[in-house]
Amino acid sequence: MVHLSSHLLKKYHNGYVVIRLALAGHKQANRPFYRIVAAHNKRSRDGKYIEQLGSFDPLPNIYNEKLVGFNFDRIKYWIGCGAHLTKPVAKLLGLSGFFPLHPMTVTEAERRRAQAKLAETAAGTEDPQQEEQKQADV
Amino acid sequence: MAALGTARCLFQSFYRVKDVQRIRKTLLKCNARTFCDETSVKGGAKPRFTDAAVQDILTRITGLDLQKVFRPIKQEMKPPTYKLMTDEQLEQAIQFATEEAKKQLQMPPVLPERKPINDVLAVDKILDGMDTAKYVFTDITYSIPHRERFIVVREPDGTLRKATWEERDRLVQVYFPKRGRKLMPHVLFKEENLKIVFSQDRHEDVLNLCLVQFEPDSADYIRVHEATYEDLEKNGKYNLLRSTRHFGGLAWYLVNARRVDGLIADMLRRDMLQDAISLVSLFHMVHPHSESAQEATSQQATGTDLLKIYSQKESQRSGYIELALQAYEEKAAEGSAS
Repeated sequence: MVHLSSHLLKKYHNGYVVIRLALAGHKQANRPFYRIVAAHNKRSRDGKYIEQLGSFDPLPNIYNEKLVGFNFDRIKYWIGCGAHLTKPVAKLLGLSGFFPLHPMTVTEAERRRAQAKLAETAAGTEDPQQEEQKQADV
Repeated sequence: MAALGTARCLFQSFYRVKDVQRIRKTLLKCNARTFCDETSVKGGAKPRFTDAAVQDILTRITGLDLQKVFRPIKQEMKPPTYKLMTDEQLEQAIQFATEEAKKQLQMPPVLPERKPINDVLAVDKILDGMDTAKYVFTDITYSIPHRERFIVVREPDGTLRKATWEERDRLVQVYFPKRGRKLMPHVLFKEENLKIVFSQDRHEDVLNLCLVQFEPDSADYIRVHEATYEDLEKNGKYNLLRSTRHFGGLAWYLVNARRVDGLIADMLRRDMLQDAISLVSLFHMVHPHSESAQEATSQQATGTDLLKIYSQKESQRSGYIELALQAYEEKAAEGSAS
């Protein structure tokens, strides 16, 4: 009988555990769904993970909500074991209030507001132009 | 490799099964704990639904009709089993059946309506306009009771608030589905549909559906129950709920609303004098300052005298109750004479 234990756990040199989003359900196109997962760093994104710590549905439902589930107990354990976090997971945890807010969330919000203002002013300049054209036509 | 994977899967599934039982026990303990809190906080001021004396009376008037409790319900078809038993074994089987029936007749809790949650945890104006949709964060830790779970909503304008009760119920059902509960409540619970179902005499089915779907202290649960009880009282169809687990709730609602006359009349019509007496004593327990209660305590009345005092002092249909009492006494006299 060959001892299987040494073949089972792939040892990584300077590898670390990472909490990241893994895409699930790739059999359906254009319908993403992410699992929040603790995995080794070098594993493929959707490959074998150590433990699933939650889920994230990026498409809003009929109540206009994006559902995120976190198993905070286990997340605390893995962070205590020295797991790293990727940017999207850190942003989500910041939004949930578990972590302090990620600076990129703030930056993105500001950028969106700036874009919305630009769009407003563009629409504002377009309307008077349209009105002038209508008056010219009439 | 595969063996280890399957072993791990099996181990995880066993862990979850054990966890489920533990969760159920903790939930039961939590439920029991809240009841204990209520009874210990209010000592003797006003009797609550969960007091031992009240529960005793309500179980007695619910009755125990084995034929009705174990009537055929829609199940998957199994061929009937026949057993050959001695008389002793038959008695034991009947005892076992009565215990099972008592378990099935456990009354669902009657709780005051829950207060809405309006807790705002953080207001971050810098996040205004970060996204078009709300983010709802649920804590999926398996070993927390659902009432204590953290469910938090981040609005598009940056406020972080606790989820409302409806959102909580929906999300707990998404992540920890309960059998029989749906995400969107059944169309049956709308007013118009309720009326149709009541005209078909299916109050018990409505109440069972309601029990599965809603939490006992939610507004919808209380609304549906009140609508059912009102309809039953208007048409006097008390017998539909007799020997079911909902009868206690009906009796409690009527006693609190002081409209027990219809129920007493129905009981007397069916010659259930003891039930009527216990109902009147329950009424006196819940409303100790009413005239009939004070009369009864002053006279230390028991039995049919209680009913007479009640019919004189409190009821609107006193004539009917007195007539029924007279008829009962005549029957008793005839019975003893012959």
